Amino acid sequence: MMEILDPTVPPSPGAASSIAYAERPASLAGKRIALIENTKFNSDRLLQKIGDILTTEYGAAETRMWRKQNASVPAHEEVIDEVRRTCDVMVAGIGD
Amino acid sequence: MVIAALTSARYPVADPDEAVELCFARGWTDGLPVVPPTPDRVEAMLLATRLAPAHQVTYIAHRAVSITAEKVAINAVLAGCRPEYMPVVVAAIEAIGDPRWSYHGPGTSTAGAAVLIVVNGPVARAIDVNAGDNLFGPGWRANLTIGRAVRLVMRNVCGSRPGTLDRGTLGHPGKLSYVIAENEAESPWLPLHVERGLRPDQSAVTVMAADGPHQFYNQLSSTAEGILTTLADDMRVSGNVMGQPQYLLVLAGEHMRTIARDGWTKAMIREFVFARTQNSHAHLKRTQRMAGAPEPGDESRMRPLVESPDDILIVAAGGRAGAFSAYVPGWGSRRASQAVTKEVKP
Repeated sequence: MMEILDPTVPPSPGAASSIAYAERPASLAGKRIALIENTKFNSDRLLQKIGDILTTEYGAAETRMWRKQNASVPAHEEVIDEVRRTCDVMVAGIGD
Repeated sequence: MVIAALTSARYPVADPDEAVELCFARGWTDGLPVVPPTPDRVEAMLLATRLAPAHQVTYIAHRAVSITAEKVAINAVLAGCRPEYMPVVVAAIEAIGDPRWSYHGPGTSTAGAAVLIVVNGPVARAIDVNAGDNLFGPGWRANLTIGRAVRLVMRNVCGSRPGTLDRGTLGHPGKLSYVIAENEAESPWLPLHVERGLRPDQSAVTVMAADGPHQFYNQLSSTAEGILTTLADDMRVSGNVMGQPQYLLVLAGEHMRTIARDGWTKAMIREFVFARTQNSHAHLKRTQRMAGAPEPGDESRMRPLVESPDDILIVAAGGRAGAFSAYVPGWGSRRASQAVTKEVKP
């Protein structure tokens, strides 16, 4: 008999699996929408299109776009703080 | 020295064969068989660094993962490292946890970056990290197992598994291991780690998120300018040409001697290559790399391949014979990930 050690770690507090998500609004009517642009080519156009649909078809009050520093990092603190203060719903994503 | 108790979960197995199969079954390997991580092997690995098992080697903020010395040691055993390689593995893990390297991008990206690790200083000779023939492998235990240990930490501790949090479209063989040393014994130039702020008698690793190596031929020229002209022509539209990543130039034996004989320093090489790897906006548009149709002035409006000459890293390495060298495009852009140098602590 012999023993071997586990090379992995269990998910830590704060890891993606333990994030508590904000409550989802039942309706977007009158909501202020934050669009988080990831700097990749055309991502601003795609997000604006989504924002337009949210205002024209779902009744959102307004949209405003922020730009991340680059595609590979989370939105920086100033962006998150401002979105928290001025918006109700955030749309973010990543893609090529 | 007595080290604190190991706290990782233990799995009983009948024999080494069963241990290897358990590692496959649990998804702990890169596809190759591993060395069973028994407690005595893991303790020997830790003793080589004098780190306590719970010591945090680095913290990956993007993953909210703390990488402890114990987990690094277990994965280094899995990879087949000798204990004396452990300080190099630890330094490389510190480097990929540095915010400048920015783990999430190169760890996850569809562009499939590997962790290129350049080892400099006395440790490279002491543990026989290859700087010569067959530079990128195979043949040397240190080169193949140190990089493998880093990738296994990424897989097993950070969760960067192919198909989930490692979304490389193609990946490349360097994602198994991608470790070289600089040929400091024969190089006419300042070693990479000295250029980046360390002393020659210190040991260091420099990690760069990187594509595979691109070999170029110049079997004709006997001048620095001739060889580097070929290099620049080969390199000009390589990698993420619109993203402006960093590059590593690997100048091997014959080319190294020719360039040195003409008295060129690394700084001169950098300036020359920077100036000759720029593309016109017209070319980038015609070849569908830059959006839009060519406009007046685009033929002479130039875009550098990298942001600055300092984004071209250079090492002397590779076999003595053969008129070949290589350039290695970095991943993404310098803004998204930068090469990081860390001391290998004795």
